[in-house]
Amino acid sequence: MKNYVKLFLVTAMAVMLVALTACSSNNGGSDNAANATNSADTADTANAGGEADAGDAANAPSDEPKPELKRLGIWQNEDYNTYPVAKMLEEKTGYKVKYDMLPQDKYAEKQNLIMSSGEPYDLVTTFSDMAIYSDYAQKGALVDLLPLIDKYGPNIKTAISQQSMDALKVDGKLYAIPTAVTYEVNNSILIRTDWLDKLGLQMPTTTDELTAVLKAFKDKDPGGNGDQDVPLTIRGDLPMLDNIVGAFGMPNTWNDVDGQLVPRVLDPAYKDYITYMSDLYKQGLLDKEFVVNKDATAKEKFSSGKAGAIIVHWADIPTISDAITKSVPDAKFAFVPALKGPAGKAGFAANAGFDRLTFIPKASKHPEDAIKWINASLDPETFKDLAIGEEGKHYTEENGAYMPILPIFNDERNLANNYMAGTDETNYPIYWQARVHKSPVMFEAFDFLNNKQPAEVKIQNKLGLAPYMPEYAKNNQQLETMVGDYTIKLIAGAESLSGLEAFQAKYKAAGEEASAKEINAWYATTTK
Amino acid sequence: MRGKKIGDYALDSVIYICLTLMGLATLLPFANVLSKSISEEWAIVAGKVGIIPVGFQLDTMRFVVTSSQFLHALFISALVAVIGTLASLLVTAMTAYPLSKRELPGTGALIVLFIFTMMFNGGIIPNYLLIRQLDLINNLGSLILPALVSVFNMLVVKSYFESLPPSLEESAKLEGARNYTILFRIILPLSGPVLATIGLFYAVYYWNDYFNPMLYINSSSLKPLQLYLQDIVMNADTSSALSADDLMNVPAEGVRSATVIASTIPILLVYPFLQKYFIKGVLIGSVKG
Repeated sequence: MKNYVKLFLVTAMAVMLVALTACSSNNGGSDNAANATNSADTADTANAGGEADAGDAANAPSDEPKPELKRLGIWQNEDYNTYPVAKMLEEKTGYKVKYDMLPQDKYAEKQNLIMSSGEPYDLVTTFSDMAIYSDYAQKGALVDLLPLIDKYGPNIKTAISQQSMDALKVDGKLYAIPTAVTYEVNNSILIRTDWLDKLGLQMPTTTDELTAVLKAFKDKDPGGNGDQDVPLTIRGDLPMLDNIVGAFGMPNTWNDVDGQLVPRVLDPAYKDYITYMSDLYKQGLLDKEFVVNKDATAKEKFSSGKAGAIIVHWADIPTISDAITKSVPDAKFAFVPALKGPAGKAGFAANAGFDRLTFIPKASKHPEDAIKWINASLDPETFKDLAIGEEGKHYTEENGAYMPILPIFNDERNLANNYMAGTDETNYPIYWQARVHKSPVMFEAFDFLNNKQPAEVKIQNKLGLAPYMPEYAKNNQQLETMVGDYTIKLIAGAESLSGLEAFQAKYKAAGEEASAKEINAWYATTTK
Repeated sequence: MRGKKIGDYALDSVIYICLTLMGLATLLPFANVLSKSISEEWAIVAGKVGIIPVGFQLDTMRFVVTSSQFLHALFISALVAVIGTLASLLVTAMTAYPLSKRELPGTGALIVLFIFTMMFNGGIIPNYLLIRQLDLINNLGSLILPALVSVFNMLVVKSYFESLPPSLEESAKLEGARNYTILFRIILPLSGPVLATIGLFYAVYYWNDYFNPMLYINSSSLKPLQLYLQDIVMNADTSSALSADDLMNVPAEGVRSATVIASTIPILLVYPFLQKYFIKGVLIGSVKG
């Protein structure tokens, strides 16, 4: 036994020694490696300059064989390499691209792993996350694109607006090509219009009318479900109800109050919103079980005809419509327009900013070719083909609107947005509506929210185009969770508004103060 | 069971009925997924599908099992499981055999080193860097090599080898057999039970492994079934972060359920035949002869 203990100690020490030396030599190694890459980088840029000069001198597209590019994309349900778009792009750009994709779950971890290990991808397209993006940029993991764009990217310059480029600059340099969002309004209250008709009610236009309508839904049982009716159902993790929260003047997470951006919980209107919502809850007009509702539970209640109203994204409409017309054949529904609150305010949160970012990692072996590829993909004709396909085959044009030809559009262009590295910012929102036209019910809902609502109720999220702000990026998510949990408790009556000041103090200390300082310093520069 | 009274029978049947019901209750979630996979999508969304399918149809199932990605992932999983299990068995046995010879110098120290790796390891990033340096990223080797020897399984095999009578080897040596001959012609044929058991452990490990492929495989043509399944199923929970384009392309609940069912079937088919080894395996090596 004694022998064993001794043996173990000796081995343990030996192992530790080995580990220590390994660690120190490792450090040295990585330093050397870093130096090596640095010098390699300078060599590369020198080379690049040389090549470019040669190219300029020849003043012709070089005939040398184009290298195969490696691109990393986000997860999609089909293999990037075999999806028809890949072949089309290969033919049009002349570049063969080998696509890999991130997993659906924990994509950020995997992406960090790939970026930090220096995997030689030429293009990485991922969700727009300013915190991650600027982290990479500041750590020197990305290639500065401005000089490359100047040299090889005339199409990029015309396609991407200066505003978008400015929003992505980190220390004056641009490291990513953005894919801008294509529409403004996401969600509203979807209401059963056949219930309204049955009760002889009008579509509500103010929050008071909404209360009255929900009350009638509860008392008069238009659905014939007895006391099982749920007037308004929502999912438990979104206590800031789109449209209603806008009626209290707080459509976005940070709203302009007297020239300063203020988060909802510090907004003077927050109290009024909570009073209104908890009143709905107390009267049984808001789903009693909303706290435990998941997305699917809420949709289930609406689709089975038990709920009179629900808050959903317009893109969810086809699924819901299909389900509800089968289970309740005479059901009709429509989005509620922007409701006016007690103070006369109304509004939807309007998207601003980016959907995806594409960048070129330092580890890329062909940064110039990557930019050339992006440039080629943004050639107006190529981009149109990428977005909606060929006329007559994938789409038809009707009165300036593009209508998809089904099912080939679904089979060959549904996932096309994953292949984009930047978009033609003037035309893409129009092309893109072809996707919404895939389902007439969906288009109607989309059209109502985005095209038919007056511009003044679409209140842009000011922070959508804000540059990277370290404090805000660091604290935002945690602060949002704090407010979300607190708001749910307030609405459900587990907390009372008398504790609001204490919470606000805690909230400020948890990082709001630092974020607000940063945000408003930037905001002051934009409103000048 | 002579001497039992009627009361005993009554009690027994109550117990049996309770146990049966509890056993069946564990099947409920599975039954729910199964019935979703063969129901119409609208009924699933409206929450009408419990255990009994509503609007029976097999199109979703057919769509899933004929999808080339699914079949490909199934093939990759089977390939990794078969090759991995065979390689693991071979290497484990060849590691365990010399370590089972107490009279060899240094075996104790080696075993301590092996056990050390059970408790400590480098962590994800060093492992990833190692695999990258070995040029195994996007290579099926990255799914097999890191799991080639499980120390626990190796120790089980080692103690089994130790329980074999040493006189067997001595007589073989007298006949002029060398070490390899002894291992492959005498020891391994006698180790059927333990090899079957740890082979099963390895096979289940390789089949179920999703973590290694998640880290090391980026190419969609090399994704094993578990990763494919995870990608499809996880889709549901992230919907709040998705843009409209992604929302429009989310696979339907029915497709997700059908994928879960389809990927469970292969292991379900094999399980009943292998279960006895699992139970046996727990006992192997626990009593030294």
